Amino acid sequence: MRSLVFIALVFPSVCQSQATIVDASGREVRPPAKVERVYAAGPPAGLLVFAIAPDKLTGWTRAMRPNEAQFFAEKYAQLPELGRLTGRGNTANVEVVLKAKTDLIVDVGSTGATLASLASQVQEQTKIPYALFDGRIETTPAALRSLGRLMGNEGEAEKLAAWYENELKSARQRVTRVSSHPLVYYGRGVNGLQTGGSGSINVEILDFLGARNAAAEARTGLAAVSLEQVILWNPEVILTTDPNYWKTIWDDARWRGVKAVAAKRVYLSPNLPFGWFDFPPGANRLLGVWWAGKLLYPQAFGDVDLRAKVTEFHRLFYHREPTAAQLDAMLGEPGVSGK
Amino acid sequence: MLKVESLAFGFPGRTIGRDVSFALGAGEVMCVLGPNGGGKTTLFRTILGLLAAHDGKLLLDEKPLASLSRQEIARSIGYVPQGHTGYFAYTVRDFGLRGRTAHMGIFSTPSKKDFEVAERVLASLGMAHLAGRPITEVSGGERQLALVARALAQEPRLLVLDEPTASLDFGNQVRVLERIAGLARTGISILFSSHAPDHAFLCAQRALLLAEGRTLEIGTPREVIRADTLQRLYGVSVQVLPLAGGGHTCLPAIGK
Amino acid sequence: MNSRALTYVLAAGALLGLTALAFAVGRYPVSLGEIFSLLIAKVTGSSHSLPANVETVVMQVRGPRVLAALVVGAALAAAGTAYQGMFRNPLVSPDILGVSTGAALGAVLGIFFSQGIIFIQLFAFAGGLAAVGLVYWIGSRLRGHDPLLALVLTGVVIGTLLGSAIALLKYLADPYNQLPAITYWLLGSLASISPRDLGLAAPLALLGLAPMLLLRWRMNLLALPDDEARALGVDTRKLRTVVVTAATLMTAAAVAVSGIIGWVGLLIPHAARLLVGPDIGRLLPLAMLLGAAFLLAVDTLCRTIATIEVPPGVLTALIGTPFFLWLFALARRSW
Repeated sequence: MRSLVFIALVFPSVCQSQATIVDASGREVRPPAKVERVYAAGPPAGLLVFAIAPDKLTGWTRAMRPNEAQFFAEKYAQLPELGRLTGRGNTANVEVVLKAKTDLIVDVGSTGATLASLASQVQEQTKIPYALFDGRIETTPAALRSLGRLMGNEGEAEKLAAWYENELKSARQRVTRVSSHPLVYYGRGVNGLQTGGSGSINVEILDFLGARNAAAEARTGLAAVSLEQVILWNPEVILTTDPNYWKTIWDDARWRGVKAVAAKRVYLSPNLPFGWFDFPPGANRLLGVWWAGKLLYPQAFGDVDLRAKVTEFHRLFYHREPTAAQLDAMLGEPGVSGK
Repeated sequence: MLKVESLAFGFPGRTIGRDVSFALGAGEVMCVLGPNGGGKTTLFRTILGLLAAHDGKLLLDEKPLASLSRQEIARSIGYVPQGHTGYFAYTVRDFGLRGRTAHMGIFSTPSKKDFEVAERVLASLGMAHLAGRPITEVSGGERQLALVARALAQEPRLLVLDEPTASLDFGNQVRVLERIAGLARTGISILFSSHAPDHAFLCAQRALLLAEGRTLEIGTPREVIRADTLQRLYGVSVQVLPLAGGGHTCLPAIGK
Repeated sequence: MNSRALTYVLAAGALLGLTALAFAVGRYPVSLGEIFSLLIAKVTGSSHSLPANVETVVMQVRGPRVLAALVVGAALAAAGTAYQGMFRNPLVSPDILGVSTGAALGAVLGIFFSQGIIFIQLFAFAGGLAAVGLVYWIGSRLRGHDPLLALVLTGVVIGTLLGSAIALLKYLADPYNQLPAITYWLLGSLASISPRDLGLAAPLALLGLAPMLLLRWRMNLLALPDDEARALGVDTRKLRTVVVTAATLMTAAAVAVSGIIGWVGLLIPHAARLLVGPDIGRLLPLAMLLGAAFLLAVDTLCRTIATIEVPPGVLTALIGTPFFLWLFALARRSW
């Protein structure tokens, strides 16, 4: 099998993979003969395409801000802004996608019927194959492999997928050694009162780590809760993605009685260049697994070298290792490792 | 109590009438006659201080009207506009109470005295039995009288009525005219406009014929309401006939 | 005691009862006895033996939320009553001059630029005031038109403009983070009311409610044609300005802390009118009582019927719409 793939890489004209793949929404997508330019319809998709073959990415859906661009080689940071295509808001012009001479459109995220039919529609319109993938951490290796086959970069994709699988396995192994599972509350938004129920992609990391989600009984998906409810749950750890919330929680008399605040176990997830926890909902959240793992299970994850993990992830997925200064800034941000 | 001298009136930027002069004493009744668009309503609005005078003098008890506040004017002059379709179903009593505003403080609600005045005024117009009825459920004539009641609740010394019989049936027209005559007997000055010259004969001591904003003639109804003046005013031929018991009436000549 | 006075007494009584009930229920179990001993301790200044969390829940979380519901409900109902009289139209809501849309735009801008709560609320408040200020300024410059019509049309136009700015911001916002935050804010909620929020919103609301209560009888005259009101002795322009300023102040303060909660300002004046008639002198205090009670009842449901919060705007509409239609069918005559 491996040798075939190797031959396919070396003699592309000889061995064209005409076999269709089935994407995560169940649609059959026939990969084009040659894929040189890929349009990624959202940040999680851009991340995967960039990781596999950075030179094939036609652009980002939103231009990179300086604090994000610093993690990428300049030519990649400066890729054009093309806008989002479908799903939660449509800012890209289909013509722009066509003009960019796209060979393949990729989207990572929800794979439900609505988006699948939208994808088929765009595919009909533009005659460009459109593949949908799931953004969950656990299915990322499979998504990488399928995408690699579509793009004609099976080798690179396999390397990444295998590595990712290994990381997940290693994390899972550590989780089995955990003896006590603290009650965790994930607070989003500027007042920390939006959260995710069990099964939501927002708290996928918590579910993956076997953490007890305080808001488990809330609906799957994003949910708003009252402060009274959070006090009742009395979480031992609070994770958040909003720096405003993290800043103000310490002075707020209403949160003072919550165990997590009293024990100063309220943590703010890093979010550059792509967030580590919750959003964007893609492969980038692997770092969140290590980050949250260390915070929730200090014993089982104690010997995890977060700096090394970050460096390796950036090298493989962003094709550039962060500098020591960048690592310091990222990990030294108030809230990342506690108050 | 009202003195009008060479009054010019109109809208901002457009004068539509000038050189109107007359004086009205206590208990006097004057009727303003004229065609539609001749300036009657604009003249009244100027006298009420709702529009600024363009020229001339307007004196209320020797004081220039422009120097008086809205509240002071409201305590002296009551305005009865043409028939009124209300939006909200206020009771007739509440409706009449609005006239007490001029005598109330800004932050007040009606006092016992205000309620007494309103009830008294309604009774004097024969409307006491309607006090609790919604204004939207009374007849056209009763609504017009409610407007009169509201103006009377102001305890004014001058009452200005703009075509008070305009949308009323014959019976109600007569009743309203009777009230007007009765009010004059109590010492209130009355200035009213009408579309029917007969009304001047019925209850006015003086008549002012207003055409295109100018005074055509002013004097007693007997003096000024003649076939030729009516022809000039309305462009139709009308006979003014004397009646057996005194008084006059107008009979238009309609070609058969 | 005549029937009208009885209505007031009953309404006030119901409100007190509801408030007591609201304090007693919630996701965090607190017994009546605990509340009672807590209140006694607070009033006498002595200490109590209740767990710290009970005090936090009652005094810091539930208490401000209950009081805020009362204030916001009363403010919205009062503004609606005043505007329905002033614009002679029973279908008018407090947002007719754009205060809610302006406040929404301010808040959305705050969220879009990742600001903290304080700035979001400040932007919202300022946005509400600015929107009405703009509408009033433009409306008063449109000469040759009925002043009310000019105001209403300008309000609709500016409101639409601001609404499209909000739509644009939603479009450009980050769909994973900002957009949900914007959506939640626009749905309205009293869930995050803090003592500080109450301390800011209540005085501002009172600053608007006080002149309205004092001028309530005089506001009746704004329902008359302008000429008639002026002839009766009222400076209509000044009165309108005061009413609009007061209504805007309290509505902007309410929206800044609670987001957009609809139907209260539109529906409650009607319910109150059915009970005591359209005279604003009698109507306004009752509308305030009913508005406070209604929103308190709704918000109490919102925070107790499920683990997750139900947006109050959803419940006010769900309860309000059939109720409104029923009222409409009931009323045999005009308002």
